[in-house]
Amino acid sequence: MDELELLKKDWQKDDNNYPKKSYNEIYKMILKKSSSIVKWIFIISILEFILWAGISYALKDADYNQRFKEYHAESIMTPLMILGYVVIAYFLYRFFMNYRTISVTDNAKILMENILKTRRTVKQYVAVNLGLMIVSAFIVLGIQFNRDEEMISIVEKASANGELFKFYAVTIIITLLVLALIVGILLLFYYLIYGILLKRLNRNYKELKKLEV
Amino acid sequence: MNKELEHNFVELLEKHQNIVHKVCRLYTNNYDAHNDLFQEITIQLWKAYPKFRGDAKFSTWMYRVGLNTAITLYRKSKRSITTQDYSDVQFKISAEAYDDTEEQQLKLLYNAVRQLNDIEKALVFLYLEDKNYNEISETLGISEVNARVKMNRIKTKLKTILNP
Repeated sequence: MDELELLKKDWQKDDNNYPKKSYNEIYKMILKKSSSIVKWIFIISILEFILWAGISYALKDADYNQRFKEYHAESIMTPLMILGYVVIAYFLYRFFMNYRTISVTDNAKILMENILKTRRTVKQYVAVNLGLMIVSAFIVLGIQFNRDEEMISIVEKASANGELFKFYAVTIIITLLVLALIVGILLLFYYLIYGILLKRLNRNYKELKKLEV
Repeated sequence: MNKELEHNFVELLEKHQNIVHKVCRLYTNNYDAHNDLFQEITIQLWKAYPKFRGDAKFSTWMYRVGLNTAITLYRKSKRSITTQDYSDVQFKISAEAYDDTEEQQLKLLYNAVRQLNDIEKALVFLYLEDKNYNEISETLGISEVNARVKMNRIKTKLKTILNP
């Protein structure tokens, strides 16, 4: 005998054993806020957009950046800044378009795919920003080597002592270490937040995909 | 959202609430978690309700939203730590028509189903609700053939859990 048939018989007849909710109880529930992962992904994604937009905004006004005006490097810095804004606009648009396609009435697989797609957009956004940050760091370094008077005099001194190579190497290594540290912290943050948030979704999506092969 | 919509929805859900309870029963282990998931499914149903069209049956539509919430959207609440398991308080299997061995067997069966993974539970749930493979495949987004194959594997898996 099929065990599931026995279970089915029981499953379909024990309708009265559940803790029935009254009209008022259900009414109260629909006034409460959802705590679904989609809501959390939305909040965290928006925070990520704000964070990166905030970082570039803060840098724009920093003393450091004011000094840049003296270098007459606008021809390099302005396109970089515009590129930053285009990136934000493009990814925000894609994020909202993806977010809007998430519907709980789709089938399970499509729902999971749409959530993952939304996530991927934000991930790409952060990756592009990180890339831009690394490229900018080296461009800034290059500009400073060429146009910053303090820097030029240090370079000349180092050159006179025969330590030019050492100086460049140390500067570049320190820059790389700082960048690696920032990337590392971000990756850890990602691993923790999304690892926890998407654990169940990823597991179940994998299971569904497995059925297709 | 207008009052009439609210009223219609709450009335419909009150009438069909067993579907939600059944999803919660499969996916949670205790009373608090059951209530928590029940609430989240209710919220998701309500949010999707304005787009619900009469062309689908309300109950069929509920299966989809309920399962999607349980296997994809739901985050376990921190509140559900210190409660008793179902077996102690809730959902005593109705035993009138059964003798002891059958009751015992049912208990073991329910426990075995709880050991399945989320997707397997979804298949079992729809199967227990007498849904055909076409409906199962549409709800989960897999092909009908694969739904059948998986269901057979689940039956074997259950047998193995029951007779190790």
